[in-house]
Amino acid sequence: MSEFFHQYFDFHIMGAHFSEVLEGFFKNLLLFAIVVVLALVWGLVLALIRQLPGKKLMPLRGLTIAYIDVLRAIPLLIIILLISGGVPYLEFIPKDIRIPNWFGQPDPFWFGVLALTLVYGAYMAEVYRAGIEAVQSGQMEAARSLGMSHSQAMRHVIVPQAVTKIPAPMLNEMISLLKDTTLVSVVALGESVLVGREVLAETFNSSAVMLAGLMFLVITLPAARLVDKLIARNQSKIARGSHIEVG
Amino acid sequence: MISKSRLTAFAAVLLVGVVSVVAAGCGSSSDDTGSTGASGGGEVLTVGSDIPYPPFEQGKSGSYTGFDIDLMEAIAGKIGRTAEFQDTSFETIFRDVAQGKFDAVISAATITPEREKAVAFSNPYYLSEQAVLVKEGSDIKSLEDLSGTTVGVQQGTTGQELAKEEADASEVRPYPEGPDAVNALKAGTVEAVIIDAPVAANAVEKSGGIEIAEKVPTEEEYGIALAQDETELLDEINQGLKEVQEDGTYTKIYEKWFKLEPPKAIFSASEAAE
Amino acid sequence: MSEAMVRLEKINKRFGALEVLKGVDLEVAKGEVVCILGPSGSGKSTLLRCVNLLEPPEQGEIFLEGHDICRGPGSGTGEQSWELDFVRQRVGMVFQQFNLFPHKTVMENVTLAPRQVLGKSKAECEEKAKALLERVGLADKLDQYPERLSGGQQQRVAIARALAMEPHVMLFDEVTSALDPELVKEVLDTMRELAAEGMTMLVVTHELGFAREVGDQIVFMDGGVIVEQGKPTDVLDNPREERTKKFLGLVLER
Repeated sequence: MSEFFHQYFDFHIMGAHFSEVLEGFFKNLLLFAIVVVLALVWGLVLALIRQLPGKKLMPLRGLTIAYIDVLRAIPLLIIILLISGGVPYLEFIPKDIRIPNWFGQPDPFWFGVLALTLVYGAYMAEVYRAGIEAVQSGQMEAARSLGMSHSQAMRHVIVPQAVTKIPAPMLNEMISLLKDTTLVSVVALGESVLVGREVLAETFNSSAVMLAGLMFLVITLPAARLVDKLIARNQSKIARGSHIEVG
Repeated sequence: MISKSRLTAFAAVLLVGVVSVVAAGCGSSSDDTGSTGASGGGEVLTVGSDIPYPPFEQGKSGSYTGFDIDLMEAIAGKIGRTAEFQDTSFETIFRDVAQGKFDAVISAATITPEREKAVAFSNPYYLSEQAVLVKEGSDIKSLEDLSGTTVGVQQGTTGQELAKEEADASEVRPYPEGPDAVNALKAGTVEAVIIDAPVAANAVEKSGGIEIAEKVPTEEEYGIALAQDETELLDEINQGLKEVQEDGTYTKIYEKWFKLEPPKAIFSASEAAE
Repeated sequence: MSEAMVRLEKINKRFGALEVLKGVDLEVAKGEVVCILGPSGSGKSTLLRCVNLLEPPEQGEIFLEGHDICRGPGSGTGEQSWELDFVRQRVGMVFQQFNLFPHKTVMENVTLAPRQVLGKSKAECEEKAKALLERVGLADKLDQYPERLSGGQQQRVAIARALAMEPHVMLFDEVTSALDPELVKEVLDTMRELAAEGMTMLVVTHELGFAREVGDQIVFMDGGVIVEQGKPTDVLDNPREERTKKFLGLVLER
């Protein structure tokens, strides 16, 4: 047993490399912070396109559904490899954009931002969709019967209600996203897991990788508790709601 | 979904780790052969290798090829064993062989004093050079030209040390596998790659558009790694290596993979070490 | 003869294989209150929803104040925006399940559409909303959220919300069916006042008393067609058709 602890929980190694790993972890957090904003917006755009009415927009809806399905069906790792390996070849894009080096972050960082946004946009679009579909159809009918356009009804009536129904699943996606920022290490972004593995290659000891894991725990465990609380709150809300309906 | 499956995989690895540690701790007799995947008999020699790393190791599971693979099979043949290869990660490869996950490791691994603390190495079977790999027509002609550039390397390799310590690169990007670094070079996200010369030569031959700017002798010697207490097996392997070199098999394998005659020094290196 | 407020000609509507409306003709004069009765599945609610194109009919013509709202290319699809705008700004609707916006206060429920659709100022809309809510007896509930109101109060807010768009015609789709019996009267009273003020109304209802008292015309539907129509005294007291008699018998037994 002691060998196991030495291999994964050598506090001396953890202490010696703490600041490096933490610096890497800040990179995970920065990546997360940027992607979460972009993916929330992109996911909403996708979900709204998917809800557009009319026969004329069928191709656009079909394209959106295909996008959402395909991006959720391909391993994120492959998307990251594809984008970081492929985008630089697109020579019609100016070099500063195709090999981005902005705000002091190297191109693997921005490729990670793009890949995670594209994929998590698709996941979040599905969460939004569940929220939109959970809004009673009478709400859209009421809004439309008052003369509101589809987009006015979406904006003022449907979406504000939809977002109150999805904080728990959305937070789950965010937890997954934070963890998945580590995958960008495959294109040599110096985030916490890569730093931990560097230490492993140097010391033949996994404690620095474990340390990265512990840093994630500090954030994700309370978040998971919060998800449970939100679910419980939502259920009591539903219970109250049905009581009103009956009473 | 992705993260869930990763979590499961992680849990499985953790569980296997815990179970094996517990099993090792509880077992009263320490099993010398300690091979996984091989059941009974002294026939099978389990060999760990980080595949792909062409031309040393490449190919698909069950039909791996490459310089290391052919050489190991030849050596195993000399000592009456059958080599069975397991793909693994280079980062953990020495720890795993030390813990008995494999009988031996052949993975283009340089013999270093640091690694020798963890494992025992055979006599050197290969003398290595590093190469600075660049895009065709690049301004980078030597290690010195790397000042201020972004350099790709494979994580945990000699090339990474060289890039950090010898070349004054502005950024060193450690990729999990060598081909990833070469891909990044071709895509233009790194300006040069420092990697083992045969790997570089192979990449130049296979992919085009890239060239070797400079070869850097490192006086590195590759060895086969074993657990430190496997002294008997170590002797056998050294003997096998010697026989393979003497009967010309080594030269044949070398020429097959590197299109070059082996350096004379390698024969004396393995002699001298005895 | 003056143009009818609403005129339906040979309206057909199907949901897949199911033909819900089979050639319905109906004329509603300005200021008239038409009460539509019928067993469930008779197509009466669908007819109402055809009038404001929530369920655009497959065939037939709908004239609103003389305009054919199903005319032009794509006739019957109900997708042309000019038709929708024209119809929905003239036709208000109140639903069985109220369908108030739960995330908005009473005041916001009433002012949302006029502000967004008609582009009126907030002050103007709120002034109007106050007057309307006072009229339905809810002047003290302006800042409440719908879930704090009783069903009857919610339905009166829904009426005020529809009236805020200054409709020329009001559609009521079984607006008292989801209410507890003691709350029905307050909603019907509001509708009575509205009728007395001269609002043109199409009312799908099971309230025979209300239909008899307020209705100018009674329409009895069954199986997707109008079986019988006429003055309340004729249809309700001396029905000619067997199906009408049977239905009235069942309703009165309740």
